[in-house]
Amino acid sequence: MTTQQFDLMVVGGGPGGYVAAIRAAQLGFKTALVEKQHLGGVCLNWGCIPTKALLRGADIAHTLKEAEHFGFTVDNLSFDIKKLVQHSRSVASKLSQGVAYLMQKNGITVIDGTASLADKCLLDVEQDGKVTQFKATHIILATGARARNLPSIEIDGERVWGAREAMTPTALPSKLLVIGAGAIGVEFASLYNDLGSDVTLVEAEQRITPAEDADISALAEKAFVQRGIKILTNSIVQSLDSSGADTVALISGPNGEQHLEFDQVILAVGITGNIENLGLEPLKVETEKGFLQADGFGKTNLAGLYAIGDVAGPPWLAHKASHEAVICVEKIAGVDAVKPLNKDQVPGCTYCRPQIASVGLTEAQAKAAGHSTRIGRFNLNANGKALAINEAEGLVKTVFDEQSGELLGAHMIGPEVTEQIQGFGIAQQLEATEHELAQSIFAHPTVSESMHESVLDSLGIALHQ
Amino acid sequence: MTNEIKPINMPKWGMEMSEGDINAWYFAVGDEVNAGDDLVDIETSKIINTVTATDSGILRAILGATGETHAVGALLGVIASAETSDADIQAFINSNSSAAAEPKAVTEASAPVAAAVETAPAPAPATIPQAASGLSKLAEGEDDSLVAASPVARRLAAEYGVNLNNITGTGRHDRVSKRDLEAAVVAAGGQLIGNNRSASSAVHYGDDSNVKATPVARRIATQLGINLLECRVSGDRGRVCKADVEAVAALRNKIPTQTDRNTTVSSNTVASQPISGMRKTIAARLQASKQTAPHFRVHIDAEIDALLAVRKQINSSNTDAKVSVNDFIVKACASALIKVPALNVQFDGEQLSYFSNADISVAVAIDDGLITPIVSDANHKGLVEISNTTRDLATRAKLGRLKPEEFQGGSFCISNLGMYGIKQFDAIINPPQGAILAVGAGEQRPVVKDGELAVATVMSLTLSSDHRIIDGAVAAQFMSVLKGYLEQPATMLG
Repeated sequence: MTTQQFDLMVVGGGPGGYVAAIRAAQLGFKTALVEKQHLGGVCLNWGCIPTKALLRGADIAHTLKEAEHFGFTVDNLSFDIKKLVQHSRSVASKLSQGVAYLMQKNGITVIDGTASLADKCLLDVEQDGKVTQFKATHIILATGARARNLPSIEIDGERVWGAREAMTPTALPSKLLVIGAGAIGVEFASLYNDLGSDVTLVEAEQRITPAEDADISALAEKAFVQRGIKILTNSIVQSLDSSGADTVALISGPNGEQHLEFDQVILAVGITGNIENLGLEPLKVETEKGFLQADGFGKTNLAGLYAIGDVAGPPWLAHKASHEAVICVEKIAGVDAVKPLNKDQVPGCTYCRPQIASVGLTEAQAKAAGHSTRIGRFNLNANGKALAINEAEGLVKTVFDEQSGELLGAHMIGPEVTEQIQGFGIAQQLEATEHELAQSIFAHPTVSESMHESVLDSLGIALHQ
Repeated sequence: MTNEIKPINMPKWGMEMSEGDINAWYFAVGDEVNAGDDLVDIETSKIINTVTATDSGILRAILGATGETHAVGALLGVIASAETSDADIQAFINSNSSAAAEPKAVTEASAPVAAAVETAPAPAPATIPQAASGLSKLAEGEDDSLVAASPVARRLAAEYGVNLNNITGTGRHDRVSKRDLEAAVVAAGGQLIGNNRSASSAVHYGDDSNVKATPVARRIATQLGINLLECRVSGDRGRVCKADVEAVAALRNKIPTQTDRNTTVSSNTVASQPISGMRKTIAARLQASKQTAPHFRVHIDAEIDALLAVRKQINSSNTDAKVSVNDFIVKACASALIKVPALNVQFDGEQLSYFSNADISVAVAIDDGLITPIVSDANHKGLVEISNTTRDLATRAKLGRLKPEEFQGGSFCISNLGMYGIKQFDAIINPPQGAILAVGAGEQRPVVKDGELAVATVMSLTLSSDHRIIDGAVAAQFMSVLKGYLEQPATMLG
């Protein structure tokens, strides 16, 4: 049998892989995509989308709680977590079918199976014990990443959940320990707190959301504590003892060690790349700390091999993967003026309550990089729309380079800020200065007026504070 | 249709275009043309491109005959209704005339093709709106990449062909804004893009599978390539009916004829289609090559076992290399061309051009033809570099993304059909090159060595040469040098 040949093959059907395949097909490549499980990858099936579906449930729980403030009396309230999970799963399955449609529409051959490199430009795909070999001039690895374990604590799917189990609960935990206060940990802490669990959040660094600007972390922590989430920073979970009815966690922190009891634990301490069993070692493909090494266009050290998305290293975000997919394929195709990924222009969003969104450098990072900065701050408690919807807890912080006026970073916490961060992203891409932003007209009444005011504040001319 | 008379002018494609050659008309005088039809192919020093009709009507006059060269803006033809009188056409031509548009040179000895208006003195002139004078001043100047300009202004400047050095910026820090640029274009007598964009740009319709239509209407639409979303809905129960589809077909002048229907009756259907521009070019060039260049062929076999061993070594020791046998052949040909420079030559029928470096064209099969991207200076490139360059060129060739300079020129050509298992074949010279190498598959064959029967991996190579400029002995010498490099690849390094 002759080996089937493609111009370009993609391994992995997540938001990196399927976007790469679509862009390649648009450009005229004869394209195939290999996926071992679900089209859509973690993002659609076990990440971004299903968690947002669950968090919508948390929003409703929160709205119901504050209904009285708006004059409503809500009696006989009951909640069935299984129905919420059902909603989440149905959204995931609908979107996965949507990806299958996109593959078909673009004439992409979808190959079910597990791929590994047999040689340069040669891919073995195994399904049900049968191995088929494919040839491709260009191979893009977009195999993603998975939750990382700690040496002493491993995800077992029972007492200790990873993100995947945490988004398909059959019952609501009563006392929940969340280990790790990065984006994933904070989202689950917020979700389960809103749904009614007693949540304790443990973080090894000195503040929650340690990747965000310190001012944002401080506000998030204040809001979380007000909601009744217990936060232990500078703290490490040394061990878990699940022998009894409850799991006993030994937690060491600034005030010594303590034993705390929980009925459920979520481990969210970062992720590690899916680089195993890809046939990388015999071909001497370079990896570092569990991730593939690639240049700004996704090219690895092996001829014809590229890596994009989570498996190519941080930031581990779906939109970063999709963007890398496009620039990688366009670079191969020789599209004019393709620019390598600028990691300082990748926005990050955390869907806790209040939401957090940011792009670019924090104030501390900007200072450390040697910028003399111009900082703008605007609190949402001076924003009419935020007060009207009773969500006036929040901040918009802007970081400009004093000399060039470049928007180095923007950091937001508050209602729907994840929808607003795009405005700052566009400004960054267009290299707008604080003056262009100041001259732009923002509609009233909106929460995003605070973005304008923050920029005005950086110039010392904020109008409403 | 109105009685308006519409000019067909020599277009301006890019800043450097001052004139163009008339390559071929798709219509003769008297033919009916529809807006959007391809009218005439124009060749510049850089590209061949097609002028499409902006209006529908009858092609009443052709003033730029095939083979002539005309200045940008020159009147090349006239489209008008059938009712418009010859006198009106003539008056229009006269009023648009000036000496500027006289044919500059006649590259082929051809009489101007059928000017319909026989009395035409036909020095055609013509002014296109974006006339040269004012705007061309805005185009002059040095590299403007350092001028402060907004991204929108910079994009528009490229579209108008304006050099930003000539625009006074009024934005902050004197940055050139969109408004500054447009003001300058208007001041120079230009028209703003967008104010007169042609409405005839192609409309893309979506999936029509959910459109309600009668079965007959659907089938006719499929046959005629008509999207049901284009059709009015006049059938019963809100369905597109046969008459609706035929109305669109009539608009497009594609009314199904009896013969169209007959062709679908036979099980052996004939799909007729006009040949593509690329196919036309291939046809014309290769026919000219066969007719003008007396081909002669020399054939040699090379044993490539040593080459395969070296290839394996290179590929296993170097992660960023996937050197193919063809890459070796490119390198070996480059080295052989330097050693036998009489073959590294182009000939245009009069002039011989010898090259100091080997720019090797590599034939790449693509969907609707073939193209020959060039590995330039291959004699100075290492095998890995040749390999990576070729892979990039072949990738972009298949996507149709090569730049003209990447496939125009070349001093020698290689056509390799080995991957299809072809043992041996002859190729046609790619003019104005002097020779082409046809490469067959490397395969194990019995060979006789020192009187003993042995097995070796052997590849058959055939060189076609233009005997007007390359003699048999030179071709033979080249092939023997090439064989030496392929059989002892280390000698290429010297």
